Amino acid sequence: MKKTLLFFFALMFSLGAALAQDRVISGKIVSREDGSGLPGVNVLVKGSTQGTVTDADGNFRITVPTNESTLVFSFIGYQTQEIAVGDRSVIDLQLESDVHQLAEVVVTAQGLERDQRSLGYSLQSVNGSAIQQRSEPNVLNSLQGKVAGVNIVGSSGAPGASTNINIRGVTSFNGSNQPLIVVDGIIFSNNTNLTTNSLFDSQTSNRLADINPDNIESINILKGPAASVLYGSRASAGAIVITTKSGKGKEGTQISLSSSYNAQTVYGLPKFQNEFGQGTNNDFVNTQVNSWGPAFDGSLTQVTTLQGDVVPYEAYPNNVVDLFNTGSIFQNTVSVTTGKGDNNMIFSVGNMQQKGIIPNSSFGRTNIQVGANSKLNNGLKIGGNLTYALTTQANAPAGNGGSAMGQLYRIPRSYDMVGRPFEDALGRGIYFSTTQNHPLWSTKYEVQESQVNRVFGNFNLGYDLTKWLSVTYRVTGDIYVDNRQNRQAIGSNRSATGNIIIDQVFRSEYNGDLIFTANKDNVFVEGLTVGGLLGWNMNQRYTYNPQFTSTNLTVPNFYDPSTATTYTYTSAQLIAKQRLLGYYGQASFNYNNYAFVEFTGRVDQSSTLPAGSNTYFYPSVNVSFVPTDAFGLESDILSYLKLKANYAKVGRDATPYQLNDVYVQGTFGNNSAQVNYPLAVNGGNVAGFAPNTRLGAPALTPEFVTSKEVGVNIGLFRNRFGIDFNYFNTVSSNQIFNVAVSNSSGYNTRTTNIGKMTNKGVELVVSATPVKVGEFKWDITANFTRIRNVVNEIAPGVTNAPITGNAFTGITPSIYVGQPYGVVVGAANARNNVDELLVNGTTGLFVPAVPNTVIASPQPHFLAGINNVFTYKNLSLSALVDTRQGGQIYSFSMADLRNTGMMKITGVDRDQPRILPGVIDNGDGTFRPNNIQISSQAYWQGLGGLASEGAVFDATVYRLREVVFSYNLPRTLLSKTPFTDIMIGVSGRNLWFFAPGYPGDPELNTQGAGNIQGFDLSGPPNVRNYGVNLKVTF
Amino acid sequence: MKMKKIYSCLTIVAMLVVATGCKDFLDINDSPNNPLEVSPAVLLSNGLGGTAFTDANELNKFASTVMSYLTGTAGQPAQYDIYNTTGADFGNQWNFELYDGALISYRHLIDRAVETNSPYYAGIGKIMMAYTFSLATDIWGDVPYSHALRGLDDTQPRVDKQEDIYKGNSSLGIQSLFDLTREGLADLNATSSALVPGADDLSYGGTIANWKRAGNTLLLKLAMTISKVDPTLATTVINEVIAGNNYIVDNAQNLRVAFGSAVGSQNPIHQYVNVTSFRDEMIVSTRYLNLLQGLNDPRLTLLVTSPGSKYTTLDNGYRGTLPTPSTTWSRWNTSITGVGGAGPVRLLTNAQRAFIMAEAATILPGVTLPAGKTANDYYQEGIKAHMAEVGVTAAAVTTYFADAANASRVTLSGTAANRQQQIITQKYISWTGNGLEAWNDWRRTGYPTLLPHQNAVGVDGTRPVRAVYTNNEISRNPNFQTGIFQNVRVWWDVD
Repeated sequence: MKKTLLFFFALMFSLGAALAQDRVISGKIVSREDGSGLPGVNVLVKGSTQGTVTDADGNFRITVPTNESTLVFSFIGYQTQEIAVGDRSVIDLQLESDVHQLAEVVVTAQGLERDQRSLGYSLQSVNGSAIQQRSEPNVLNSLQGKVAGVNIVGSSGAPGASTNINIRGVTSFNGSNQPLIVVDGIIFSNNTNLTTNSLFDSQTSNRLADINPDNIESINILKGPAASVLYGSRASAGAIVITTKSGKGKEGTQISLSSSYNAQTVYGLPKFQNEFGQGTNNDFVNTQVNSWGPAFDGSLTQVTTLQGDVVPYEAYPNNVVDLFNTGSIFQNTVSVTTGKGDNNMIFSVGNMQQKGIIPNSSFGRTNIQVGANSKLNNGLKIGGNLTYALTTQANAPAGNGGSAMGQLYRIPRSYDMVGRPFEDALGRGIYFSTTQNHPLWSTKYEVQESQVNRVFGNFNLGYDLTKWLSVTYRVTGDIYVDNRQNRQAIGSNRSATGNIIIDQVFRSEYNGDLIFTANKDNVFVEGLTVGGLLGWNMNQRYTYNPQFTSTNLTVPNFYDPSTATTYTYTSAQLIAKQRLLGYYGQASFNYNNYAFVEFTGRVDQSSTLPAGSNTYFYPSVNVSFVPTDAFGLESDILSYLKLKANYAKVGRDATPYQLNDVYVQGTFGNNSAQVNYPLAVNGGNVAGFAPNTRLGAPALTPEFVTSKEVGVNIGLFRNRFGIDFNYFNTVSSNQIFNVAVSNSSGYNTRTTNIGKMTNKGVELVVSATPVKVGEFKWDITANFTRIRNVVNEIAPGVTNAPITGNAFTGITPSIYVGQPYGVVVGAANARNNVDELLVNGTTGLFVPAVPNTVIASPQPHFLAGINNVFTYKNLSLSALVDTRQGGQIYSFSMADLRNTGMMKITGVDRDQPRILPGVIDNGDGTFRPNNIQISSQAYWQGLGGLASEGAVFDATVYRLREVVFSYNLPRTLLSKTPFTDIMIGVSGRNLWFFAPGYPGDPELNTQGAGNIQGFDLSGPPNVRNYGVNLKVTF
Repeated sequence: MKMKKIYSCLTIVAMLVVATGCKDFLDINDSPNNPLEVSPAVLLSNGLGGTAFTDANELNKFASTVMSYLTGTAGQPAQYDIYNTTGADFGNQWNFELYDGALISYRHLIDRAVETNSPYYAGIGKIMMAYTFSLATDIWGDVPYSHALRGLDDTQPRVDKQEDIYKGNSSLGIQSLFDLTREGLADLNATSSALVPGADDLSYGGTIANWKRAGNTLLLKLAMTISKVDPTLATTVINEVIAGNNYIVDNAQNLRVAFGSAVGSQNPIHQYVNVTSFRDEMIVSTRYLNLLQGLNDPRLTLLVTSPGSKYTTLDNGYRGTLPTPSTTWSRWNTSITGVGGAGPVRLLTNAQRAFIMAEAATILPGVTLPAGKTANDYYQEGIKAHMAEVGVTAAAVTTYFADAANASRVTLSGTAANRQQQIITQKYISWTGNGLEAWNDWRRTGYPTLLPHQNAVGVDGTRPVRAVYTNNEISRNPNFQTGIFQNVRVWWDVD
C-alpha cells in the first residue's frame, strides 16, 4: 500500500512538469531490498521543474537538456540519489530504503491520510496482501495473531460461522464491543444478528464476511478512543478502517486474477478410547449414550440394537471423525482497473464457494464491485463505489442435546455411526435413542439456511476551495436483507411435529458527512503547519426482523408453511430505528515534522437518549514527538525515537427504545406449561398485555469511555530493529444497563446508568530483520498483548449481573465486581478454607457444589504472535505462530466426552478403582485425605457434568496459524507474454496446535460474535485448511 | 461551473439537510414494537391468566404432591414429594406469574379503569388483586403488599406481615384484603361504567352480577383462612356475607379462568399432565386413589384416568422402579384438565362456598346460617355441587346419597372436630386439581389426615407449611428475612 500511495502523491507533485527537450534517458528503478520495481519514483532534472515518475514496473523515460544534467531520483521512504547523466542513455538504479524515514502514510478516522509519525495514538496497518490467499475466506480470521491489542476468536469450523473481535478489551457492559467497521468511508455493518437462541441454533455469520478479502487494499486498525474519536459514539470500541482496491495511482489498464483452492478437514477433536463399548456399569445397554459398557475383550461379541438387529460388538475408532467430510473452499476474483491521473475506475467480480466439513453445510459469496473517481475540468472531484454481495450459508443446528453436534459427543464407541443406516425408506430416523436424532439424520433433516443480499456504496464530492481549504461531501449506504429459514423435519427431537421458521433481517444504514479540511504551512512561525477539520454527520440505522414459525407439518420433507397447521408470530424487538447527528472538529499542529499536537472534539445528538438531554460532547488530545529529529540524536544504533501520548473520552448512546415503559403481549408459564396471548378460548381470541418487566429510563445519559495512553516507537540499527510499545488505561463509566429490581416492585429490571470497568493493557510490536544477506532476507514481526480488565462496580448492593444473551440456568456469563468481564457464574466445587476439594465421607464423591460462584473467565492472560517471513529472490515463505495464554473455556463437549466415557483418558485402567482428589471433613474442623475408592465410571462422572466446575478447562493454546509459500515468476520469463506478474503459492491454516489444558482445540466460541465468550456448548470443532493459490496480473 | 457556484451549492445542500429540523429528525424513539398504552380489557385478561397460572402451574404441582394427590416420579415433583423445596424453586412463579404477571396487570388495570371512568374494571381488578395477594401470603407468609407494585418509586418494597395483610394496619397504611375486596364490590355497585368487560373477562364474560358473587365468596374464603387465629373477625365477615346473601350459589357462578384447546392456549394442568416432556414427572397417588375407592365415590372415574380399565398409581415418596410404559399411568382426567386442555382453572367454587358455610357453622359459634339451614345441609350441598361440577349425573348423585352404605359418609356426625374432618375431607376431594386451597385447609385444620410420605426429607421430615422465599428476591431486596425454611408456620396457621 505504501508504494501505491506514494506513487499517488508523486504523481500529483510531478504534474505540470514540462517536457520538450533534447536527449532521452530511460531506465528501471528497483528496490535494493527485494529487487522489485518501484513505481512512482520521482525523476527530476536537477535545478528545473522538469521531471517524470516511474511506471508500475519502475520504468521511466525522460528527456534531458544536456549531458551536464543531473537526475534526482527521489521516493518517499528511500534515500534520494543524484546521478549525473553524462553520455548514458540508460540509467538503472537500485534505491536504498531511507532509514531516517519510517514514515508511512496511513488512513485514520474519517479517511484522513496521515503520516504515521504524526500520530499520538496507536494505529496498526495491515497490508491487503497479508490477508489474501491465506486459506481463509473471512477477513477477521485472517487478522488473527497479526495485530497487537486485538482479540479475535472464531466460533468454530462451521462454514461462515461468526468471528468475535474486541480491540483493547471490553469497554461496555451491555453495548456492542465490536469495533466500528468502515469500508471506503462506508459505515459497514458487522452485525451477527442472533435472532434465535444462540445456545441451540447454527452459527450465523458476522456480516463482515460479505467482504471479499481479495478486494482489500489495506486495513488500518484504530485502537484507542483517541484514534477513533472522529467517528463518534459508534467507534468507542475502536475502528477498523478498510480501504478497497481502486484504480487510484495506476496508469493504464490492469487486469488481475486471483484464484485459490483449499481443502478443509476437521481438526482439534480429542482422542477417543477404543476398549469399551456402549453401556453403563460394565453392562451393555442398547439405549445408553455411555461408553461405560463391557470391554472389547471377546467376552461379548455381538449385541442386539434397539431396532432388533444383531450387530458385532466392537470398537469403531473413527465413528466420530467419519461424520465429517473433507470440505473445500474455492475462491476466484477478477478485477480490472484503469486510470490516468485523477481519473480511474475499478470493476471486480469475486466468488467464493465453500463446502463445509459437516454434511450439507456450505458458505458462498459473490461480490460485484464498480467504482470510479474523476476530477472534472472545473476542479470538482467526484467519486463513487458500489458493491453488491450475495452471501449464502447452510448449517446444521448445534448445541447441547438434540442436535447433530450435541449427539456427536455422545456416540457410544461401539456404535457404527456411519456404517449402519440412519434412516428408513420413509426418512424416519434410526438411532440407539428413541428420543434423540442420529447426527447424520440431523445434518440432513435439520438445516438452517441464510441468504444475504447486500448493497453498499458511497458517493463523494470534493472541491478545493483554496490552496489550503477543501470541502468534501460523502454519502454512504449499506443495506442488506438476510432471508433465513430454519427447518426441522417431522421427527426432530426439538420439534417432533416438524418446524419451519422463516426469519428475515433487513438492515439499512445511511450516513452523510460534510467535511471541511484546511492545511497551511508556516503559520505564525516558520516550520509550523496547521491543519483543521470541521465535519458534520447525519446517520440513520434501521432494522426490521419479522419471524414466523410454522409447526405441525403435515407433509414429510416438504417445507412450505402452507403444509403446517400451527403458526406463531414471534415478536422480539422487531423494528429498531435510530438516528444520530454529529458535529466534529480537529485542529492539528506540526512543528518541523518532529513535534505534533492534535485536538479533536465531537458533539453527538442521538435519538435514543431523552429529548432534552440527548446532546453530548467528548474531546481528545494527542501529542507525538520525535527527539531523534528534534535534537539530532540519530545514530547507527538509535535510528528513530518517537514518544506519544493521548487522552480521549468517547460517549456511547443507548440502543433504541430504552426510555419508555411499554406493554408486551402476555405470556405465562415455564417449560412444563405455557400460554401465549392471544388466547384462543370460548370460540374467540382474547388479547392480553402486561407491563413490560423492564422499567424504562426517562433520564438516561450516554455511557463514556475515558482513555489514557502513552507509547514509544524505537528504531535501532538503521531500523533493522523496531519497537512499538503502548500502555493504555481505559475507564468505562456510566454504563447503560438493566439493573435487577425486587420482583415485588412489579418489575424485573430497570434501565439506568451505573457501574465502572477498567482496562489496563500493554501492546508491543517488535519488528526485526535479523538476516539480510544478498537476496536473502529474514523478517520477524512479533506482537504481544496483555490486557487486564476489571469490573470495578455495578450498582449499589449489586455484586453480579448476567450479561444480556442466551445462557443456561446456573451457567451465567456475568459481570461480577472485582472480576474480569464475562466471567461464568455457576456451581463451584465446595472447598475448605485451604482450597482443598471437599469429598463426602460416605460416597467418595464431591459434596454438593456452591452455586453463584465465579468458575471461569474467558479472558486470556496474554496473546502473542510471531510472524517470520523469509524471502529469497522471488520466493517467499511466511509462518505465523501465535498463542493465547490463560483464560478458560466452558466446554459441554469435553464434559460430555468425559462423562460418557468416550475420551481416551477414561479408558485407561478402567478396571482399577480410583479416588477423587480432595479431603473429607472430620466434623471437628480437621480434614483427612479422601481415601474412598470408587469405580472409574463414578470417578470420571464425579469430576462434574455439564453444569459444574468440571466443565471448565484452561484455554491456553499454541498454534501454527498460518503458513504461506509463494513464488513470483521472474519478469524475464514473462516479458514475452501478456502477463505482468504471476504468483503461485501454497498456504495452510491451523496446521498444528498444542493445548496443554484442553483435550481438543480450545479456540472456539459457540455463542458466536458478541459479549458472551468462552463457551463450547456442543458446537462444531475447528478446521484445518490448506491449498494452492494463483495470482495473475496483466 | 465556477468555483463560487459550487461553493454555494454545497453550502445550500448542507444547510438544507441541517435545517430539516433536528428535533423531528431525532424524535423517533417511541417503540413501534410495543404499545405505550393499552386498554383495561387486555390487562384484565392478562391478569386472570397470571392468577390462573400461579394457582395451577408449578405451585400446584408442589401443593398437589405435598397434599398426596399426586406422587412425584421425577424432576422437581419428585423433590416436592419428599418435602424438598428451596429458594431456587418458584422464582418464575413469584416473578412472572404473580408479581410481574397478574398483580402488576391488576395494578395497571385499576389505574386505567380510574382514568377511563370504568369502575367495573376497577372493581374486578381489586377483587382479583385481593384474591391473588391471598395466594402469595398464604404460600409465603409475610410478603410485599402495601408497598409492592410501585415500580421505580419503590424498587425494594417493604415486606408486610401476614396479619397486617389480612387485617389491615392503619398506622402502617396497610389496607386489609377484606377492605380491598369490599372496595372492589363497591366499585361493582356503580350505576354505570364507561368501559365494560366482555370476552376479555375470561371468567364471567362481563357478567358483573357474578363478579359480585365472586367478591363475596372471596370474603368467605379469606375469613375462613384466618378463622383459627382470629375467630371473631372471621365470624363477623362470614355473618356479613351471609346477611348480604349475594355469594356463589350455583356451579355456573364459579370463578374460573377459561383456557382453550389450541397449542399456546391450553390449561396448564393439561399441559404438564398430558403434553410436555414433563408429563411423566407425576402420577396419581395411591393414597388419593384409596381415599376415593374407600368412599366408593362416583367421582373417581371422572377425576382419574384408568388406562386399560386399570388404575396405576404410586405411593407418595416411592423411590422404586416406575411402571412402564408411562401411558399406563393414572393421571388427572378431563374434568380437571379439560378436553384437549380446554378446561378452566378453578379459583372459587360453589362447593367451596358450601363447605365454608358448613365448617363455619361447625367451628364458629357466632356464625348464623340462613334460616332453616344446617351445617349438614351445606356439607351435602358441597358434595353434590362438586359431583355435578365434575360430571356425575344427577341420577348417580341421587343414587349415591340414597345408598345406605354412604349414609355415614354424606352425613355429619360426632364431635365438632369429627364433623370438621368430614367437611374438610370432602372439601379436599372437591379441590382435586387445586392443591393450594387444599394445602391451606390442611395447614389450618390438620385435615384431611395425611400420613408422612415415604423417604421424606425436607428440613426435618415434616410436610412443608410454607414456601421458602425465592433466592432472587432475597438477593435483590434486603427487606426479606433469610433462613425461614418450609417448616415455619405462617401467621394464620396456629394450633
